[in-house]
Amino acid sequence: MNKNDLIMTLLKGRTLIVLSLLVIFFSFAADSFFTAQSLLLVAKHVALYGILGIGMTYVLVTGGIDLSVGAVVGVAGMVSGYLINQGLTMFGYTIYFDVPTVVIIAVAIGVIIGAVNGIIITKFAVAPFIVTLGMMYIARGIANLISNGATFPNLVGKEALGNTGFEIFGRDIAGFPVAVIILIVIAVIAAVILRKTPFGWHILAIGGNQRAAQLSGVHVDKDKLLVYMFSGGCSAIVGIIATSQLVASHPMTGNTWEMNAIAAAVLGGTSLMGGVGTIVGTVIGAFIIGVISDGMVMCGVSEFWQMIIKGLVIVLAVIVDQYQRDLQAKMALQARNENK
Amino acid sequence: MKLSKICASLAMCCAAVTFAASANAADEAKRLTGGGSNIMYIITPSHSNPFFKTEAEVAAATAEKLGYTVKMVSHDDSPVKQSELFETAISDKAAAIICDNAGADATVAAVKRAYDNNIPTFLIDREINEQGIAIAQIVANNYQGAKGVAEVFVEAMEEEGKYAELFGIDSDTNAQTRSTAFHEVIDQYPDMELVSVQTANWDQNLGYQKMETILQSHPDLKGVISGNDNMAVGAAAAAKAAGKKLFIVAVDGSNDARDQILSGDMTATAMQPAALIAQMAVEQADQYLKTGSTGKPEKQLIDCEIITIDNAKNLNNFTLSK
Repeated sequence: MNKNDLIMTLLKGRTLIVLSLLVIFFSFAADSFFTAQSLLLVAKHVALYGILGIGMTYVLVTGGIDLSVGAVVGVAGMVSGYLINQGLTMFGYTIYFDVPTVVIIAVAIGVIIGAVNGIIITKFAVAPFIVTLGMMYIARGIANLISNGATFPNLVGKEALGNTGFEIFGRDIAGFPVAVIILIVIAVIAAVILRKTPFGWHILAIGGNQRAAQLSGVHVDKDKLLVYMFSGGCSAIVGIIATSQLVASHPMTGNTWEMNAIAAAVLGGTSLMGGVGTIVGTVIGAFIIGVISDGMVMCGVSEFWQMIIKGLVIVLAVIVDQYQRDLQAKMALQARNENK
Repeated sequence: MKLSKICASLAMCCAAVTFAASANAADEAKRLTGGGSNIMYIITPSHSNPFFKTEAEVAAATAEKLGYTVKMVSHDDSPVKQSELFETAISDKAAAIICDNAGADATVAAVKRAYDNNIPTFLIDREINEQGIAIAQIVANNYQGAKGVAEVFVEAMEEEGKYAELFGIDSDTNAQTRSTAFHEVIDQYPDMELVSVQTANWDQNLGYQKMETILQSHPDLKGVISGNDNMAVGAAAAAKAAGKKLFIVAVDGSNDARDQILSGDMTATAMQPAALIAQMAVEQADQYLKTGSTGKPEKQLIDCEIITIDNAKNLNNFTLSK
């Protein structure tokens, strides 16, 4: 019984343990890894997948999936690039928006794409996998159409047009990357909503047992819709950050990033079956992926090995996850028998 | 008198004028001394393409011979990943970065960041749309190479007949340059008839599929011009499967294309001197770090070699042995 308790504690903290071990390993393997500058850099790279992963976690806990997030990243980036470099031409006038407005428009478009996903999933009862797969192609097509496949270069804006300052999201404030600040803000808000508010409990309940949740008075359709809108909004924010880092928007930005978002969530203990998942877990999961890829680059490991190792870590994480769940069920059963 | 002579020789090649201008700009630029370590980062697209593999390996071998520690990484044609790799190189205090970049516009910010952090970048194979931030941009002369194979193509076709074109990625300047050069030669012959232009994304499978479709609608097709070897090899396989003999030319100079030329399934390709370019970039990086100058203009165009059945057997890994 004591042995089981110890194993249980270790299993529950496993993501953090793995992350610590990885950091220690790479600190020895690559001289320049364990420095404030390098770790902040890892955090900055992780921010992109972390924010996507947070949106994805919300979707996954309802038992859904959002494959369109990478493509929405592309759309949001292209919309920002278009508005800054070309402005919006209407009725013969060209309007240039300032950067905050550009950000709001780009995020709004992400949220709208999420809403379309959500409406089709709830109103027409189509499987989320199919709807968001379709949306992945549609959104990627839109991203390419905006510029006809070209890149919007040099997104610094013009003083005269009052739209300068877009680079800020890819830069540092007092040595601290803006992307990491955004990640922290979103993570804290998302974690509080998921753990401390009725909405959070409802979406966990939907993933646990949709029918039961519905019968207990949860507005399943409305909550699901909100979840996909949230995921779309998170993706758009990532699109803005990625575009800002490059100071250019490229239509293929975010291609296959949905896989990294899913991987981050799953590494953090979110179940693809729904009902289980934490934001802290997802952020740690994103850090595991980030530490592995940046660490291996610094060690000079070949890209092919990087893929293999990343894949192994993901599969191992799910195996351990499953083991924990079995053990938990066994212990609960034991406890019940003892009480009798 | 002397001045007019110089002018006349420069005017022969308008690119050379650009070179002279950029050479002056490079002289004025500040000297970058590297991040402090002796690590050289070699950033290329995925090594699953033999062209980039050769490029990266030759650069690595050259750098190691010169006493540098090498880190070979791949950006997978994602500008975001490339930007992350540049940042990693900066925090790793790299001495220099050798990069085959992921986009002419989307790479500018990353190279600028390295420049601001005192790390010199040497671009190979593809240019970026900004001068004065990379120390060198050494690229193959795609225009000359494509023109060269187009001439071989016209001769093989006996100046007449239907042909198709496989185009690379639309947004890629190389795709545009090569296509323009092809047509500058071929369009002079009125009996050469272009029946279909298809985008096959530089990809072998797509090249195969598009060629199958084209052959369905044009069974009397006689030749194919292809933006790169991958698409051409795909097209050659499709022609073979359909029992047709086509004249196929491309640009790149891979070992796959060489084997197709030797077996008679392709006519010619233009070899981009990837190995030479990679070696030059590393040597110039070394010289620059030691002396503060490469002694060369920023933009350098290196001529392609035309590969036909006559010299194909001497081609290996983008190097033509004599």
